[in-house]
Amino acid sequence: MRTCRIESLGVSLSHRHFGRWGSVRHAVEAGRQCLKASHHRKADIGLLINAGVHRDLHICEPAMAVFIQHRLGINIEFQNRGTLAFDLQNGGCGMLDAVQVTAAMLQNGEIEAGMVVASEANSDRQPDPRFAYPASGAALLLDLSPWNDRGFGSFAFHTRDEYADLYTSLVSLAGKHGKIVFQRQAELENKYLTMAGTVVEDVLNRDGLRREEIDFVVPAQLSAGFLTQLPAAIGFPGDKVINLSDRLPDTLSTSLFLALHLTMDSQRPAAGRKALLLAFGSGVTVAAATYRF
Amino acid sequence: MNHSITGVGATTRAVDKIRIESLGVYLPEKILSMEALLASCRRRPRWDLERITGIHERRVAVGEYAADLGIKAARQALAMSRYRPADLDVIVCSSISKYNRKNEFHLEPATAVRIRAAIGAGNARVFDVVNACAGMMTGISVLQAMIRCGMARCGMVVSGELNMPLAETAAREMRHSFDGQLAALTLGDGGAALVLDPSPDGQSGFQHIDLVTGAKHDHYCYSRPSRRGPGGILVTKARGLQRKGNEHFPAYFKRAMDRSGWTLNDLQHIIPHQVSVRAIENGVRAVSRYLGSVLPDITRCSADHYGNTSTTSHFLAMHDAIVEGRIDSGHNIMLVSGASGIVIAHATYSFDDLPQRYRARFAGGR
Repeated sequence: MRTCRIESLGVSLSHRHFGRWGSVRHAVEAGRQCLKASHHRKADIGLLINAGVHRDLHICEPAMAVFIQHRLGINIEFQNRGTLAFDLQNGGCGMLDAVQVTAAMLQNGEIEAGMVVASEANSDRQPDPRFAYPASGAALLLDLSPWNDRGFGSFAFHTRDEYADLYTSLVSLAGKHGKIVFQRQAELENKYLTMAGTVVEDVLNRDGLRREEIDFVVPAQLSAGFLTQLPAAIGFPGDKVINLSDRLPDTLSTSLFLALHLTMDSQRPAAGRKALLLAFGSGVTVAAATYRF
Repeated sequence: MNHSITGVGATTRAVDKIRIESLGVYLPEKILSMEALLASCRRRPRWDLERITGIHERRVAVGEYAADLGIKAARQALAMSRYRPADLDVIVCSSISKYNRKNEFHLEPATAVRIRAAIGAGNARVFDVVNACAGMMTGISVLQAMIRCGMARCGMVVSGELNMPLAETAAREMRHSFDGQLAALTLGDGGAALVLDPSPDGQSGFQHIDLVTGAKHDHYCYSRPSRRGPGGILVTKARGLQRKGNEHFPAYFKRAMDRSGWTLNDLQHIIPHQVSVRAIENGVRAVSRYLGSVLPDITRCSADHYGNTSTTSHFLAMHDAIVEGRIDSGHNIMLVSGASGIVIAHATYSFDDLPQRYRARFAGGR
């Protein structure tokens, strides 16, 4: 079966912009960067999935992906070539979920190219101080790889629902306008670390890979402390695990692909190099995927 | 062991069609009439909404939240399924109204996580899909893609819709008879769940699923927290939404028929999104105009007694039509959805023995 690859990657970081951008604007900016770097035309994109968690003005209908599709100008009118846009929500693992769904549709021949976007921003006037995610956006343009062995390999998602209450985010509607109420227990990162080893083992087994064959590991950048402990938890040497915590704070759903973007910028991985991608999210869910450049 | 392992290569069998292996719905017991809802409005609209919409009553959940409605529907579906909860590879929850506690709209964890925990589907990989009223159709399309390419063997699409908080806000906040929140008075509560797996005979199941988003029209309907007080609001430009939808969806209706190799003679039922009885009648007229011939009386409607239950509405109507004996094995149906965005969705489906099994279970007591 042919594999799905990242044809282009775009990001939007909050420090670049003067003023306060919302989640749609960040997603659109990342999408524009992505389209600029891509060889595909907008009309080729048959699927647009938004995997961001927090939404402008807490709008729950229609899907945020619809606003992003509109502003990116991707098949916005009912015509011969159409695009399906929807939101997929699974916290910090949402983008990997959306990549796998897009890969399925590409492999089935249902679409020619698909875009996965995510963005985070808190639109509250007085935000919950526990909500520490800076606004950001990330976008991927995915298509079928022209090579047999390049692109995404296997995916693995492990969920431990008995820990579901360790991480909750909700919009309180008790007052006007709604307000995000955010709760993240201190032991959450320990749970991620205990689950990460099994997930990595699982995804490597699926691909028949040994740890030595992986050139680098790109995890979501949760915190400096977490990234220091991660290599031991997953059985990789510290120098193989990308740690950008000095440059990149945790940005929730976009974190993994912001880290991948910066890694690709600095390392420019050669063809054939293998990466392991790791995401962590509510549920509690740890997700992993292998990627060959 | 309460974790899930899912990935490419779970199965390698090529699958062409997927089918609804089991169906479960949950309807709260309390019934609220349109008259009672209108009487609760601070400023009662001067329209005869019951006559205009054709909606006489709806079900209202009491002491239950959106996830509870989804969980109860999921349990109904599993009770009739040959799969155990532990067999499910994927659970996709497509609820819009994630009111999982009073005045709380939950973002994380995904509602599918709560449903997985409640039904004991410890091996299922879970996520939520949000696509307005086309959510369940989108979930089916996503799960179809995953089953077809071997990422999953079987899975569940589930939705619990607690819409009445939006109607309560509308009753409290509407200022005049043309208020944008008027359409919220057509809503109702309900839950639906489907277990999907590969079609065993390769004939029955979904023949064609087509979803398209015309994002240029994203301004016709939206839901967000109220600016004036507690709760969420649903604001709809109902006439514009219907006019735009009716302008475009008949072409997709015909395209779905053509791609399934069907003519009107092959079609026994059409189940549209249950916005209102009047909206469904207008939609039928629009298709008739487009096709140049009057549609036979095959449109199934449950909006008159359930109201608009958003994502779950097709499957509550399907439940009614099966229990009443209208849908039988071998029948072909078309599911039609129009949702804010605007999303236009069509799915053509050929039944296996599900109607018989469903009736047998229903007659045997739920």
